Parts: sequence; C-alpha cells; structure tokens
Amino acid sequence: MAKVVVIGAGFAGHTAALYLGSRLGKKHEITVISNRDVFGYVPSWVWVGIGHMKPEQTIFKLKPVYDKMHVKFVHAAAKEIHPDEGDQYVLGEEVGSGKEVRLDYDYLVVAPGPLLNFAGTPGLGPENGFTHSICSLPHAIKARDAYLALCERMKKGEQVKIVIGTGHPGATCQGAAFEYIVNIHKDLVKKGLRDKADILWLSNEPAVGDFGVNGVQIKRNGHVMRSEEFLTSVFNDHGIRYQVQSGVTKIEEGKIHWQNYEGEEGTTDFDFSMLIPQFKGQPFKYIGKDGEDISAKMVNPAGFVLVDGKYGLPYPELAQTPDAWPARYQNPTYKNVFAAGIAFAPPGPISKPFTNKNNLLIAPAPPRTGMVSGVIGRVVALNIADLIEKGEMTHSEPMTEMVAACIASMGDSLWDGNAVTIVMHPVVPDRKKFTNEFGRDLFTSHLEMGVSGAWMKFMLHHTFIWKFKALPGWKIIPE
Amino acid sequence: MQPSQEFSKAEKFWMNFKLYQLWRFVVLNLKILAAVYQSKRS
Repeated sequence: MAKVVVIGAGFAGHTAALYLGSRLGKKHEITVISNRDVFGYVPSWVWVGIGHMKPEQTIFKLKPVYDKMHVKFVHAAAKEIHPDEGDQYVLGEEVGSGKEVRLDYDYLVVAPGPLLNFAGTPGLGPENGFTHSICSLPHAIKARDAYLALCERMKKGEQVKIVIGTGHPGATCQGAAFEYIVNIHKDLVKKGLRDKADILWLSNEPAVGDFGVNGVQIKRNGHVMRSEEFLTSVFNDHGIRYQVQSGVTKIEEGKIHWQNYEGEEGTTDFDFSMLIPQFKGQPFKYIGKDGEDISAKMVNPAGFVLVDGKYGLPYPELAQTPDAWPARYQNPTYKNVFAAGIAFAPPGPISKPFTNKNNLLIAPAPPRTGMVSGVIGRVVALNIADLIEKGEMTHSEPMTEMVAACIASMGDSLWDGNAVTIVMHPVVPDRKKFTNEFGRDLFTSHLEMGVSGAWMKFMLHHTFIWKFKALPGWKIIPE
Repeated sequence: MQPSQEFSKAEKFWMNFKLYQLWRFVVLNLKILAAVYQSKRS
C-alpha cells in the first residue's frame, strides 16, 4: 500500500486529493494536511469584499468530502519536509492542540498556496499596514467592512480616493484586483455614490490589460483586438483612472509610494486601497537525512518548488522556448515530490520584465491560480496514480498548452450585471505552435464584455463548488 | 497617457441585449470546452 501526502487543500491540493481519492483511495493511503479545515472558493471573495456575498457561501467543510473520497484529513500546519530516501516524511503542527504530527509518504504533493508576502512592501496589508487584501477570507471580510464604512462617509457627502491594484513590483493576480475595481465601480453606481469617488488602477503591468500574461489577443471581424485597447475602453467608459508600469515600494497611512519605468518616484493618496501583495512559497524547512538544510535542492530563493522546467533562461530566450515550462511538475532531485498550483517555480515571467534606472525590477509574476492550479493538481494526481499502478507517468500539461478563463464580474445581478470574460489559450504563449506574433490561438482566445459574462460567473461559482464537493459528475466539469 | 477610446453606443446595446448575450453565452461555453479538449485533458 502506497502512502500519498498532499500539503494544502486549495484549488491545486484539493483537486489533486479528489483525483487521488477517486483513483487510489480504496487501495492506498491518501492524506491531506492543511491548516484550514474548509475549502475556500477564492474567485467569489471579490463579492465578499464588497458585501455582495456572505462569507459562508464561499466555503465548505473538507472532512465530509474527504470521508466520501477515502482520503484522510489532518488539520495541521505543515512545517518540515524530510525528502531523503529511506525516511521520507512531513512534520506538522496540529491546529488547536499544537501537537506534532508526522506523516510518512511514498509520494508528496506540495500545494499549500502562496505565502502572502505583505512584509515585502513596508506598510502593505490589513494586519500590519494600511491597505486591504482579498487574498484570504478574513482579509476579504476586513476589506468589506472598511469599504462599507467608506460608503457611509460618502453618503455624508465626503469625496474619497480609492486605489486598487498591485502592492509590489513583482506581484501577480492582477485579474482579481481588476475584478475588484470594476465591482466597486458598479456597486457605487448602484448606490448612487459613484460621483463621490475618484478610482485609480495602480499596477505593475507593462500595459493595461496585460494581467501578467503578456495581454490577451483575439481575432474579431478579421482584426486582431488586444486586451490593452479593450480594458482601456472599460476604464475610460467607467471613469476609472489608471497608472501602469509602476511598482509600489512603500505605504504610509493614506499614501502609496511608487516608482515607474522611468525611475520617477511618486506618491498617491488614498482613503481606501486594496493592493495584491507579492506571493512567495511557504517557508517550509527542507531537511536532509543528517539534519542538514537541503532547501537548494527543493526550492528557488522565493520558496517555490523546483520542478521539471528549464530555469535560468534570459527572458528573450524563454519567450521563444515553450519547452522551458514544466509539464509534470516533478522535482528533479526527489522524483516522488511534486508541486501544484502557485507552489511550483515557474521558469520566468510571461510578461516582459523591466528594470528601471534605480535598479528596481518591475515584473508581474506569472499567474498560477484558479484554472491553472486545478489543472496542475489533476495532472500531478493522475501521474502519481500512474506511477503507483503502472510504474510510469502518462500525463503532462505545460502552461504552454493550458487554457485559462478569467471572468471579471461587474456586479452580481443576472439581469443588469456585467462581466469581462477573458479566455486565453494557451496561458503561456507558444510561438512555435502558434506562429502569429502573440503565440496564441486567436480563435479560441476570447475577450468580451456583456451580461453573458455575469451568467458565466454565476454558473462557474455553482458548478465549481459542485465539483469541489465531489458531487455526482464532478470529473466531467473541467478544472 | 489616457487614450480616449470608449465603447460605442452600439457596443453597449449589444452588451445588454439579452437574446444576443444568450448566444454569446453559448459561444463562450463552446469555446472553453473546445480549448479544454484541445489541450491535453485526459
């Protein structure tokens, strides 16, 4: 009987656990270790953050799902990974009791989600800083309370400044921030308060609509339309000002410090701000059989797990080398260790990085959340099942072949709601397979705004929660 | 730099015209399914 341990129960870890349970659960021992005992449907936290959805509608208990799927659940925070052959185990600390937990494994999936590195930008974040976040449920609730308090001030006639975007020169997840800013716009319109707010998009992207994936391009009526012009139209149409090519370096109360591509330093005042922090890998200790630190074999300096990618290529070469992107998410040193979701180390950025004259690197990191996380979780789970049952892996899916959809809703009404729907295929351009200048399939890629997007967002919320609860037919629903 | 492009009145009309949007909803779902199955899902 093989033992498989999954660290984390987010999009990647939970998806991996479901597939592992389904394929192996009755014959082998599958264990999930997570410091949270609920699954959180992250894309809907945008709605929690403006008070349009109750937090409990976005979560459900994990244990009943795992019981059904023959997966053991350990409610503990993983602390140490001991990957050396002969004695391979994960050490954790049980939530509540603080008791040490030891989980031996034959195969390990590292999928704990990101460390939200608020400390990377002084003054950033809702705990020790002055800005808000929607990257965790407690943060989204705090952002909601602050936003609703701001609305009360606006009702009394106060003019306010709202800044949404990225809070670090290397931040990712611009899509979530974009969805939040357009939801705030729509909510203020509905409340009759839009004229009381000056709203600014502040981002590290090279251009509006870049989203850390070098933008999205589609073919419509024989012409190529780029996300830059489309999203610029959205901002102009909604009266949202925007400032891109800017890395936030410090926050003070009511003041954001930034530097741009030209090396200019400036400040922006705010009354309410939601800025996405830099993501790093979870700070696990990687320990060898003699007690030595073996982090260099397992993770890159940011704490992301090294997998089967080609690391160290300069950006121009990486952009022309689709094979550099990992396909099986397997650690090259410890072949029984896999990483899924944000936890794997990408070989480099997708968008063109820029270093300004002050030596500040302004470069959105590649997004690896949502669909991408789910797909990787599935690939990793199926390969582990293959290794256990057949002795060889048969699945692979690099981000240069993956499709991803991002629905940025504007309001949650099915009648007068709206959403920008973005589908990119592949997520990372493959200029060898798709010979256009963008390296993407311009037919299946999609960029559109309309009420159908609001329907799509509603449908995705319910179908994904259905899938993640492993209800009948869950495997048919694509990640 | 804040370019002046905005959506035209016709574009805004189609964004809210429910019958057309129903068609776009179907198209979008088909596109996602096509892309998912073109990738290596197995």
